[in-house]
Amino acid sequence: MTKRPFDRLRKRLAEVSDLTKAATLLVWDQRVMMPPGGSAARADALGTLSRLAQECFVAPEIGGLLEELRGLEESCDYDSFEASLIRVTRRDYEKATRVPPELVGEMRRAAALALAAWGPAKEDSDFEAFRPHLETNVELRHRYVDCFDPPQETYDVLLDDYEPDMKTAEVRQIFDGLKEQLVPLIQEIGQAGEIDDSFLTGSFDPHEQRELGLEIARRFGYTDEEWRLDQTPHPFMTTPGFGDIRLTSNLRPDDLSSLFATMHEFGHGAYEWGVDPGFARTPLGSGVSLGVHESQSRTWENLVGRSRSFWRYFYPRLQEVFPDEFGAVDEEMFYRAVNKVHPSLIRIDADEVTYNLHIIVRFELEQELIEGRLAVKDLPAAWNARMHEYLGVEVPSDAHGVLQDMHWAAGSLGYFPTYALGNVISVQIWERALEDLGDLDDRFERGEFGDLLEWLHLHLYVLGRKFTPQETIERVTGSRIDAEPYLRYLREKLAPQPA
Amino acid sequence: MSVTVDSPPLERLKAILAELADLRHAETILDWDSRVSMPPAGAHARADASATLTRFMHERFVSDEVGELLATLESVDGETDTALIRVTRREWERARRVPSELVAEMAHAAGVAVAAWDVAKAASDFASFSPHLERQLELKQRYIACFPETETAYDVLLEDYEEGMTTAEVVAVFDRLKQELVPLIEQHRADDDVLLKGPFPVERQQEAGRLVLDAFGYDSTNWRIDETPHPFASKTGAGDIRLTTHTDENDLTSLFSTMHEFGHGVYEFEIDDAFARTPLDRGTSSAIHESQSRTWENLVGRSHGFWRWFYPQLQLLFPEALGKVNEESFVRAVSAIRPGLIRGDADEVTYALHIILRFELEQELLSGAVAVRDLPETWNVRMKEYLGVDVPDDAHGVLQDMHWSVGFFGYFPTYQLGNVISVQIWERARADLGGLEEQFARGEFSPLRDWLRDEIYRHGSKYPPRELLRRVTGSELDPEPYLEYLRTKFA
Repeated sequence: MTKRPFDRLRKRLAEVSDLTKAATLLVWDQRVMMPPGGSAARADALGTLSRLAQECFVAPEIGGLLEELRGLEESCDYDSFEASLIRVTRRDYEKATRVPPELVGEMRRAAALALAAWGPAKEDSDFEAFRPHLETNVELRHRYVDCFDPPQETYDVLLDDYEPDMKTAEVRQIFDGLKEQLVPLIQEIGQAGEIDDSFLTGSFDPHEQRELGLEIARRFGYTDEEWRLDQTPHPFMTTPGFGDIRLTSNLRPDDLSSLFATMHEFGHGAYEWGVDPGFARTPLGSGVSLGVHESQSRTWENLVGRSRSFWRYFYPRLQEVFPDEFGAVDEEMFYRAVNKVHPSLIRIDADEVTYNLHIIVRFELEQELIEGRLAVKDLPAAWNARMHEYLGVEVPSDAHGVLQDMHWAAGSLGYFPTYALGNVISVQIWERALEDLGDLDDRFERGEFGDLLEWLHLHLYVLGRKFTPQETIERVTGSRIDAEPYLRYLREKLAPQPA
Repeated sequence: MSVTVDSPPLERLKAILAELADLRHAETILDWDSRVSMPPAGAHARADASATLTRFMHERFVSDEVGELLATLESVDGETDTALIRVTRREWERARRVPSELVAEMAHAAGVAVAAWDVAKAASDFASFSPHLERQLELKQRYIACFPETETAYDVLLEDYEEGMTTAEVVAVFDRLKQELVPLIEQHRADDDVLLKGPFPVERQQEAGRLVLDAFGYDSTNWRIDETPHPFASKTGAGDIRLTTHTDENDLTSLFSTMHEFGHGVYEFEIDDAFARTPLDRGTSSAIHESQSRTWENLVGRSHGFWRWFYPQLQLLFPEALGKVNEESFVRAVSAIRPGLIRGDADEVTYALHIILRFELEQELLSGAVAVRDLPETWNVRMKEYLGVDVPDDAHGVLQDMHWSVGFFGYFPTYQLGNVISVQIWERARADLGGLEEQFARGEFSPLRDWLRDEIYRHGSKYPPRELLRRVTGSELDPEPYLEYLRTKFA
């Protein structure tokens, strides 16, 4: 034990990271590879592994080392690796040690039970069957909130887990701005007449879809050396180790949503792929927050993948692979169809504009639930009323309403806002990239995405968790989080042109 | 399960063992993934994770707490708990000898070396692999040094795979095999066997493999099968059995490797559920395990009865290649003695010599009689001597197997012991069940499977390998039934 305290800290953190990565792999395997018979044993293994990782991290030794290292932290430059690692670790450590392990265990167990109940409840559109689980989850979140110093707003504590340092008040302000402009925009678009997107439903061989998805991902920067792509009902991205990026997509035979899901997950993957390799096996070695993460998945899915120039490049390939479906559809028709704005019931199928309102509904209801202003039993009615108010849609059943997402079953309250924040942030970063790189359309039309990837890599991805999300956004864009660029983008792209 | 310091010692011990089983489950997935699904660039991070996990498992297991619990559990009630304590104590005493740091170093070196081996094998470049092999040998020497009272260094390694087996005993068995098999091979060298001519399209072979597996008792709720260059089987927990096979359109070896891995898988699958999350929840030794893979691959899968049932289906799948080959010729072709370069493809007879060669070279490497840099040449000379074949390059020679890259020294002999044991057990099964070939010819494999489950599989590690063999066959390790089987088959 003659090593410097900093090296000892790194060693301990590397162990925690290794155990966490092992758990990450087990989860990936469970969702992609595991035969169903293995689920009970997998739950045991994951329980033990997560507990062990948690125990190793909250060990008093780490607390002691962090104390010892205060001097080093102060003597080093704020931007230095040493100061950043100590600062970020201390923040994580202080949060983690606030919560008793029993509560962590209880939350995990409750979430597992709630998830198990959620599946069938959604299937049967039976909110009552799910209600007690959601009540338990809300109750446990209250106990969780109580572990921390009294916040300005209760919801701040929940939000902080997903978007560190972000305050409810700031999100509310951003979302109010979105609501104010998007509700009329949606009406305006609705009045301009229906866009034909009927050709997006058809028969699209999943095998071909997978190959096309891979072709796009490879153009973006995917390599077989470091990435893989599998098929799951719910697409996701995970990194079970540095240099090991795994995407999944859902291949639905009757539409092309897998292509957008693949581009979306590619964005998440690219962010993790680009983190400074020097941060491997430390708490700095991943994306900084869910909002910033989502900004990158949205960049590749929407700002690139729903752009005119991207389809100028790729649409001929699509026509070649699906001549029956697209032979008679020109590029402009296709472009308009994949950008069609249309209020609907399901968040994950929503377009770029209405998506935000789906999120705002959830954000508002979550606050009301956690503050006790709304009882769980009244949630479906509140949901349906809000959907009608913001999107003008009638919710026919809870399966297509309050039960559609798994997040609340998993106990993830405070997670949803990060999706819309990601949209907002994506355009702030995009504008900066365009300032530096100039117009990207020519390059996209030629299938060249390397300049964009490189810019994002050097300006954003490489930073990992070194700075707070807000610091990160400011360093990349020069300003705080701001919805104006995003609103401008939506209006320019999607508002009906005056005749 | 909530276990506190006040709980009875046996419960506390079982709680610790359950956690260790969970971590081992995780380690199995890390390993499986690295061989089946991991992108190549993930190898270094994986080696780190594997090393940390292995070290944690080791540290937890060798703790004084486990030692104290074992000390208070000198005698317990019931056959299963007695076995559990016996197995745990044996493993604890061995593990305790080895520093956790060395265990982690070995896990890490294996992760790195196996990736290097992959590349070296593809390029047939022994020089790029030799530093990794040197490192593995150095680690093995340090490991052996943890057991100074064992006179024969190689015995230390054997003990990890085959409890109670000694180098001397293996030498005696192998000498007897060499004595009989070398002339048998000579006798058949000029055989004009039917050579099967492909191609055998990959998807068709996979379909054939699935048909056979379904008949043997595979189900997709609890099993999966994938393609890897080197087939293997693993079990991560109850209800999760994974096989891999390798399919080459030029031959039908995938079928045999599928049946082989099924044998490993079914042994693990059928272990008593009550043993879950304990050290009893695994096959009792490598050789007993291999006896079961060989049973399903060779004693079942190369038998006349099996092909009476399956050959018509195979012909339907490969009408061009097999339409004009009759069943008798086919069975001869898939069993023929044909000295070759690759252990994994070897027939039932020459296989033994591939193993004997490795067994001898391992001992020579460890004693320093052969230096790593001279290994390829020694390998090639020995292949010529035992099998009369010329090794064209190291990919088809010394680099063909992954075992040494992951530090598996002492493992190879258990393959051949498995062959020997398989026939000892088989004779008992035949005596008890009668008419096995007729059952196979009707596509019935469950009587055999049930018998093996009752006699062997369900017991997991409850009995040490020797005791299990004695319980099932009434005798000690004995090469004679195996030799008799080969002589009869190839008369």
